[in-house]
Amino acid sequence: MSAHPTPWRRGRRQWTFHMTPVRYVLVLIVAITVALVVYRLVYGLGAPTNLSDRWPWALWTWWKLTGVALAGAGYSTALCVHFLGRERWRDVERGAFVVSLLGYLMVCTALILDLGQWYNAWHPLYSWGIHSAMFELYYCISAYTVVQIVEFLYIFEERVPVPRLRGVLKRIYVPLLFLGAILPVFHQSALCSLYVIAKGREDPLWWSLLLPVFAVMTSFYVGPAVVAIENLASHRIYGRPVHMRVLVEMVRISAGVMFVYLVLKIVDYGARGVLPELLGGSALGNVALLELGLGVLVPMVMFMSPRIRSSRSGMVVASMLTVLGVVANRFNIVITGMVASSGAGFYRPHWMEVFFVLGLGAAVGLIYLFIVENFPIYTETDVAVSAAVASEEKARLRAMEPSETRTSTHAGHPA
Amino acid sequence: MSADPPFAETDGPEDGSSGSDGLSRRRFLGTLAIAAGAASIGTTFPPAHRRMTETIRELAEKHGNDPSLLIDLTKCVGCGACVMACKLDNHLEWREDQPAKGPDAALASSNWSVVQAEGRVGRDGESRYVKRQCMHCLEPSCASACFVKALRKSPEGPVLYDGNLCVGCRYCLMACPFSVPTFEWDKTFGRVDKCDFCFARTSKGEPSACAQACPVGAITFGHRASMLEEAWRRIGAEPQKYVPHVYGETEVGGTSMLYLSDVSFEKLGFRTGLPTDPIPSYEWKITRLIPSVAAGLGGTLVALYVRRRRLILEEEDAARTDEEVTA
Repeated sequence: MSAHPTPWRRGRRQWTFHMTPVRYVLVLIVAITVALVVYRLVYGLGAPTNLSDRWPWALWTWWKLTGVALAGAGYSTALCVHFLGRERWRDVERGAFVVSLLGYLMVCTALILDLGQWYNAWHPLYSWGIHSAMFELYYCISAYTVVQIVEFLYIFEERVPVPRLRGVLKRIYVPLLFLGAILPVFHQSALCSLYVIAKGREDPLWWSLLLPVFAVMTSFYVGPAVVAIENLASHRIYGRPVHMRVLVEMVRISAGVMFVYLVLKIVDYGARGVLPELLGGSALGNVALLELGLGVLVPMVMFMSPRIRSSRSGMVVASMLTVLGVVANRFNIVITGMVASSGAGFYRPHWMEVFFVLGLGAAVGLIYLFIVENFPIYTETDVAVSAAVASEEKARLRAMEPSETRTSTHAGHPA
Repeated sequence: MSADPPFAETDGPEDGSSGSDGLSRRRFLGTLAIAAGAASIGTTFPPAHRRMTETIRELAEKHGNDPSLLIDLTKCVGCGACVMACKLDNHLEWREDQPAKGPDAALASSNWSVVQAEGRVGRDGESRYVKRQCMHCLEPSCASACFVKALRKSPEGPVLYDGNLCVGCRYCLMACPFSVPTFEWDKTFGRVDKCDFCFARTSKGEPSACAQACPVGAITFGHRASMLEEAWRRIGAEPQKYVPHVYGETEVGGTSMLYLSDVSFEKLGFRTGLPTDPIPSYEWKITRLIPSVAAGLGGTLVALYVRRRRLILEEEDAARTDEEVTA
C-alpha cells in the first residue's frame, strides 16, 4: 500500500480505495446516517426532524437548495467549454462534472426522503400540475441527473471498456451537451421560484419576482469558486497541480456576473421599496447586508484584483466567501426570511436532521475520492505530477522508517 | 387606469407589482375609510377601501354562486359545537395533543376546523373567538403549487384534496397564505389534511356541518354573492359596531369564507396585508415564460455551438494547409 492516495493512472487494473483516519470517520458518519434513514422511513418525518405545520420546510430544504446551487459548477463549466470556447477549461472540466453529478445524486436522495408518500414520487409522470414551479423542478432535475449519469458513462467506458457502448455514446454526444446546458438553467431557477408563491410570507428582503433569475446567477458565479476549492483541495490531497491560469480566467467571469447580480439586487430592492428595510439597521436588514457585503461584494472585489486572485491564498479566501455567500443566501431564503411569518420562532433543527446533512456531505466526499482514485478524472499531466508527489512522499517516509520503527517498538511494545 | 370599475373609488396597483407600495397605501386608505366612516356614518357604501380591481370583480362574478360561509365573529361565543360537528361528520380523531378549541387550538391533521380563543381583545374587554378552517380561495395557491394536482379547485367551488395522488412534498403548506393545510408528521407515510367544506353536503346545496351546528347563528351558509351582500348590509346597519372590512372579500383575490368582526382582524391573528392579486398569478408569471425562455436559450446555444464548431474546423483546415505548404 502506498503512503499517499493517488488518482487513477491509465493502465491500473485493480480497484483501490485508500483508507485514512479521516476517511474512517467519514465512513462512520455515513453508516450512522444510513441507520437514521431507516429510522425516518419507519417512523415518518415527525420523529427525526423538528418540522411542523409552522415549519413545513427547513434544514433539508436549505441543504437541497444549497447542494444544487454548488453543483452548478458542472453546468457553468460545461457551458463555458462547449459553447463559449474556453478550451483551456477542459483541464478542470471533469472534476467539476463529478462534483456536480454527486451533488445532484445527493439532492435527489434528500428529495425523495423528504416526501411523505415517497413511493408516489412517480405520480407527476401522469398527473401534471404544470402551473407549479415544483413541476418544472421535478422534470428538469430528474432529467438532468439522468443526463449526468449517462455522461458519466463516457468516463466509465474509458476505464471499463464495454463493447459497442462507445459508438452509442458518440452518437448522443451533441444532444447531451445541449440538455446539459439547458436543463440546469431551468431547475436552478425553479428551486428559488418555489418561494415566489410564499409572497406575503417570505420577508420582502428575500422575496422577489426575480428570485429565479437570482438563483441562476448565483449558481453560475459560484461554479468557478467551487471548481477553485475542488482544485485546491485535490492539490492538498493528491498533490494535483493548481490550474491557476484557468481558475483566474474563471473567477474573472464570476466577478462580472457578481457585479450584475449586485446591481440587479439593488435595483430590485429599490423598485419594490425595500431599501429602507435593508438599510434601516434592523436585524434582518443587517443579515441581508452582511450576505451581500461579505458574500458577494468582498469576493467580487478580490476576484477583480489581479494581485489577490493570482495568489493562492487570495483565491482560497475569495472562493470560500463566494460559496459561503450562496450558502447563506439559501439559508436566508429558506429559514431567516420565513421566521416572522412562521409564528413559531427561529427554526431549531433536531440533531438527527443535522446529522443527516452531515452524512450526505460525507458520502459525497467519499464517493468523490473513490471516483478520482478509480476513474480518469484528472488530466494525464495532473496524474503524472500527483504520482511523482506521491512517490516522493513514499521515499521520504521510507527514509524515516527505521527511526519510526524503533520508536514504535519502544513505545508500543514495552514487553 | 382607463376603465374604472364601478366599485373603485380609488385606484390601486392593479398588477400588484409593487407590493409594499400597495401595502402602505392600503393601510392608509383603510385608516381613511375608518375616518370617513366615522364622519359620515352609513352614508356611502361600500366605503373607499373596497378597492375592486378588475381581477377581483371578475372572480367575484365567476364564483358568485359558489357555496360560501359568512362567519360573524361578533356573534361567536366559542362553544365549539362547529368543531364537534366537523369531527363527527368527517370522522376525525379527538386528540389530547391537538386541541381544537381554546387558546392553544391549531389546525392539525385531526382538526380541519378550530375555534381559537383570542383573549380579551374586544373593545368591551371581552374575549373573542375565531373559527378557522380552509378559506377555499377563489384562486387557490395550494392548487397552483401542487405539482401532481392532488389539490384542485372543484367546479362547484370547494378546494379538494386527493391523498392518493399526493406525494407529501408539503409545498401546499408553504404556498397557502393562510397556513391552512397541515401534514401528518407522526405517520410513516404522511399526507396532507385540510377542510373540504363538507363537499358531499355543500355540492348539493346543503350547509356544511359547522354551519348547521352553530347554535348562535354566527355561521351563515349561502351563495358567495349573497353572503357578501349580507355582510355589507350588516356593516351598513351597524357601522359603529363592525370593522368596515369583510375579510375574504379581496384577500388574495377573494375567498369563499367571509369574516365580519368588531375588532381589527390583525388583533385576532388574521394575516393582514395580503396582496389582492391571486397568489398563483405570481408563480404563473414565471412558469408561463418557460417555453419561450427555453426556445430562446436553445437558439442561442445552437448559434454558439455552430460558431465554435466552425472555428475549430477552420483552425484544423489552416493547420492542414500549413502542413501541405511546408510539405
